[in-house]
Amino acid sequence: MNKKLFTQIKNEWHSNLWIMAELLLVSVIMWFIVDYIYVKVSIYEQPRGFDISHCYLLDIDKLSEKSPNYNANLKEETDEVNELINRLQRYPEIEAVSLSHWSYPYDGSNSNCNIACDTMKNDDYIYKRIITPDFFRVFQYRGTRGETPEQLAAMLKNNTFIASGNIFKQKYNIKFSSLIGKQFHFDGDTTTALKLAAAYLPVKYTDYEEAYSAKSVAFLLEKKDQNSKNELCIRVRAKEDKNFIPKLWKDCSKQLRIGNIYISQIRSFSDIRHNYQQIETNDMRNYLFGMGFLLLNIFFGLLGTFWFRTQQRRGEIALFKALGSTQASIFIRLLSEGILLLAIITVPAVIIDWNLAHAELNQAMNGTTLAAPRFIFTIMITFLLIALMIVAGNWFPARKAMKIQPAEALHEE
Amino acid sequence: MNTKYFKQIWAHLRQDPVVSIISVLGTALSIFLIMLVVMLQQVKVAPFSPESNRSRILYAQYISISNKKWGDGSSNGPMDVKIAKELYKSLKTPEAVTIYSVCTIPAVISIPNSGTITTDALLTDADFWHVFDFRFIKGKPYDQVSFDAAIPSIVMAESMARQLFGNIDIIGKNVEFNYTSYRIVGIVKDVSTLASTAYAQVWVPYTTTSYINNIWCEVGGSFSTAILARSRKDFSAIRTECNQQLAISNKKLSEKGYKILSRNRPYDQEKKTITYGANIEPDINADHRQKIIIFIILLLVPAINLSSMTQSRLRRRIAEIGIRRAFGSTRSKLLKNIITESFIVSLLAGIIGLIFCFAFAYLGTDILFAQPYQSTFCQPTIDTSILMQPATFLYALGFCFVLNLLSSLIPAWRASRINIVNALNGKIK
Repeated sequence: MNKKLFTQIKNEWHSNLWIMAELLLVSVIMWFIVDYIYVKVSIYEQPRGFDISHCYLLDIDKLSEKSPNYNANLKEETDEVNELINRLQRYPEIEAVSLSHWSYPYDGSNSNCNIACDTMKNDDYIYKRIITPDFFRVFQYRGTRGETPEQLAAMLKNNTFIASGNIFKQKYNIKFSSLIGKQFHFDGDTTTALKLAAAYLPVKYTDYEEAYSAKSVAFLLEKKDQNSKNELCIRVRAKEDKNFIPKLWKDCSKQLRIGNIYISQIRSFSDIRHNYQQIETNDMRNYLFGMGFLLLNIFFGLLGTFWFRTQQRRGEIALFKALGSTQASIFIRLLSEGILLLAIITVPAVIIDWNLAHAELNQAMNGTTLAAPRFIFTIMITFLLIALMIVAGNWFPARKAMKIQPAEALHEE
Repeated sequence: MNTKYFKQIWAHLRQDPVVSIISVLGTALSIFLIMLVVMLQQVKVAPFSPESNRSRILYAQYISISNKKWGDGSSNGPMDVKIAKELYKSLKTPEAVTIYSVCTIPAVISIPNSGTITTDALLTDADFWHVFDFRFIKGKPYDQVSFDAAIPSIVMAESMARQLFGNIDIIGKNVEFNYTSYRIVGIVKDVSTLASTAYAQVWVPYTTTSYINNIWCEVGGSFSTAILARSRKDFSAIRTECNQQLAISNKKLSEKGYKILSRNRPYDQEKKTITYGANIEPDINADHRQKIIIFIILLLVPAINLSSMTQSRLRRRIAEIGIRRAFGSTRSKLLKNIITESFIVSLLAGIIGLIFCFAFAYLGTDILFAQPYQSTFCQPTIDTSILMQPATFLYALGFCFVLNLLSSLIPAWRASRINIVNALNGKIK
């Protein structure tokens, strides 16, 4: 049966040209999109290394010196900021409060540093996180040796630092935790050194960045550097996290106004995350739209082409029936014709796909754009999706064809 | 062209309803998606109040600085007022230059005996109101004199005023803005977040705040600059002047080892929309390439589909084509006829696609127009003045034409080349 079908396709290649060209084009673009979504979803599913549920960001601001309410006698901003933290810690709902500089998740601002120990040093970008110890508790960082956030917090002092466990992994293939206790130099400054106290599990920069490439080091934000420009992050106890923003906001103009400092905005981290990742959300939306568009076109194309084809082949189908084909076998024959067409063009499509991946035009994951399991998986998904559309588009004409009355059709001939 | 034409088209469409519906839907779908892409770009570059002058504004949102000691390293971000004045405010060619905070800042606002609320505030100078054409419902903007004197004045969006006071007859009243008393001088119509530069809920003179004291690396600060040219023709003259100013400033800074990197700033509206980082110059050519690939895909895939169907349909009309040819129709005339016929159908489908596109823009504003990297949590709003741009309709017409040409040229050409005798016999070859 299939051999016959194959011969027929070969003989009628001229009329299949349009549909095959379309299938080839769509197959390649579809694979590109499927591959993109596969990569994004896989990366999204990797552990983030932090937890933002029940976390809030408090924006602190300072009165303008031109304001009549400004108190020029207050010199040390650190004291006011610390008093604010103390008052926040007294709230029964609040579990942890931290100050930091360019460190909270889903913040576009960052700075980087270079790190060296003996003869080892990094080549890649390492994010610098300058934090108070409770930052670990707010965002629930965890140590590579099973340290709890509390234990990590206790280890961060002014002569130590803590770093993500993957810093020397690709270059030297060693666990960072094996270097605990060693002295490190930063940014080529060999006069000062900090001791590595612990390593934490890799912390992603955003949901769509690989843990693989997210490397960071955490330093203590010392008291003298604490000011109103720092980020104030809090974690609320899960049970108490109901209507928290309005509740806290009520106190902002009174209890939480200290000296010249006030809170100008409270945002939940889920909102911050949503805003920050809008560009990825938009990209994903665009790709999904593109995918829907291509699939619908396949549907239309198959429907149109096979609609004509069954009309042209009335005599042929009638002959099949007269020679003993059942309705079901006619139906299946027509459906298989579409699938077979797809199978034929999949061969050149895979070659093109492979070349695209080889030229690194698609998304990279784990440092490569071409990995066998991923390639095979995405090719299969692409084939399946298009095959589904072919069956859907072919269904209607095929049903019409199987209802042909052989006597009438042959009589017309 | 006469009614007979349309009658014939209608008859053809009715002859095979399934295929007709498929072709119309296929074309409509393609135009729908193409126009969505066009619209997404239009909201970023097309003029609408208060950014009606987009086509003749140049933006210097950020500044980049390097130091001899840093090697290849650089520091990038918004700029300080002093350097903004030196580099841009000093220019002679532009009509106006404004300095404003790089993004809206969260501010606390309240009136006596009511709770405080957070609002999106933009810190500006007086020229801001010249560069951007806000629609004032009440009052007027703060002027240069009160800006220079740092008089606490505030312009408010209508919805903000209503939320605070319940009405908008509030010119001259006071509000507490960041726990400091400000006098309300003007009420403007609400601004969509799609006006990416001018958007805010309240606007205050930056001289009344302490943000001007926030300086890093000599020239970095919290501000951006927009330069309004008299016309686009002046852009190159302005850029030349900018580079001269830059050279002067760099000479002064070189004593401390600093150097401002130009990164070809200032950018026009289109280039500004693809600026996501302060540390790289956006690649406008790469952006164009990407858009062209998208358009090609959106046109080519349906075109292949439609070609196949047009060809099948013409095959049925082979006898008719034979008769036309026998009665003296030339090949080129036949070709023109077939393409015109299918253009009318494409146009009809295009209108359907465009209607769907507008409907989707209104209903799915949040999904469609949410802009990346915004500091506000307010959702974008859309109205006819933003969507119904004359350019949009021209684009739609143009794409319909191209799609039709792509999908009917080959089949029509082949049909017109058929031998008359064969055609009259209903033979294809």
